[in-house]
Amino acid sequence: MSILLENHIIELLQERNDKAISLLYEHYGDTLYGVAFKVVRDEDLAQDVVQESFVKIWKKSDSYDPTKAKLFTWLFRITRNTAIDKLRSASNKSDKEIQMDVSDVYKLGTEGVIPDLIDVQDNLEKIDSKYQIVLDALFFQGMTQQEASEELDIPLGTIKSRLKIGLRELKKIYGSTMVFAYLLNFIIN
Amino acid sequence: MLQKNKTMKEKIRIFLETDLLEKYLLGTTSNEETLQVERYIAMYPEVRNTYIELQENLEIFAKLHAIKTPEGLKEKIQNKIKKGNSSRSKFFKYAIAASFTALLFAGASYFFWNQNQNLQEENVIVNNKIQNLEENMRLQLEDVRNQFIVLNNPKTKRLAVKGNNKAKELKAVAYVNPVKKLSYINVSKLPNLPENQCYQMWAEVNGQMLNLGVIQEASNSEKLMALPYGENAVGYITIEPTGGNSSPTVENIVANISY
Repeated sequence: MSILLENHIIELLQERNDKAISLLYEHYGDTLYGVAFKVVRDEDLAQDVVQESFVKIWKKSDSYDPTKAKLFTWLFRITRNTAIDKLRSASNKSDKEIQMDVSDVYKLGTEGVIPDLIDVQDNLEKIDSKYQIVLDALFFQGMTQQEASEELDIPLGTIKSRLKIGLRELKKIYGSTMVFAYLLNFIIN
Repeated sequence: MLQKNKTMKEKIRIFLETDLLEKYLLGTTSNEETLQVERYIAMYPEVRNTYIELQENLEIFAKLHAIKTPEGLKEKIQNKIKKGNSSRSKFFKYAIAASFTALLFAGASYFFWNQNQNLQEENVIVNNKIQNLEENMRLQLEDVRNQFIVLNNPKTKRLAVKGNNKAKELKAVAYVNPVKKLSYINVSKLPNLPENQCYQMWAEVNGQMLNLGVIQEASNSEKLMALPYGENAVGYITIEPTGGNSSPTVENIVANISY
């Protein structure tokens, strides 16, 4: 996302102009829906999560501090926490244990994925799965590094290094493509 | 200086080895941890840059998992937000209406309280008037009863009274009943007096001079005037200035009645 657009949305949020929500949805809706789906692994639940998250984003918009976090980081936190809460209450209802399923990382497949991002999905699979698992556990499963270490039976030091290398790999593959895609997106819109 | 630099680098390295920064990124730090992380970010550019990099990577990683949102979800969200906004403005409308109602109620309460207070005062006044009327009625009834007793009683002495030289035409009748100890006088005829003068009735009972008031004009000549009863009492009629006098003018006595 361009800094300009991001700042524009932040301004709208601070003015409590509901056009901000429309812009946020256009630019982050798919990503946040993906985040929600990764956590709850159910389309209906994920939609509820996105809905609740946007309402929270709107209600809490005056609590967002741009000096402390990027806009996306703030949106991600709200969506992820809403999704984890949803998953907990849903699993409480059905009395099911939440189990981390490593194979889910690949299960997402191409159905429901935006065509533009298909090659990104392909690229995602280029990242060594050992890094993906760690990133997935930390970003989407709500685990701490300690918990991920225990759950995945990987030493804590390895978790830390895989997280760092995994993120570096990501940057290598997408760093330039993403920036180009955003620029293109901004020019077209 | 070099030593200091080394310990600082060590401090940053130790900090970055913990998962505090990652926890902070995801918003799962405790309040204390949040303060610590924010202090490190503010103080050390290395930590700050790592944090910025982590945020960028998070965004990239999240974007990799983007899924097309289903149709209609955006509208649902917008409706929900509009509803929230309108319910807020509805709340304010209700609040204003409630405040107005409360004010109106307070005003009305004061008005009615005031009204009630006035009515209570009026009620006291009316009650007093009724009591006075009752008392008057009782006295008048008693007077009429006494007049009836005196006039009908065979023991009643009838004394004719005539004016002296100063008022030759004056005629009155006194009724005295020693049994009931009641006496009345009926002044039937009074000579005309100048505007500034009037007739006044007095009675000397047991050595005390009592003022019985001004005698009304002949129009109500049928009226009986009560005389205080006493053994060997004397009644006087005098000419006094209009409105009556506080003590009789002896030289203006026009009639006297011994009873």
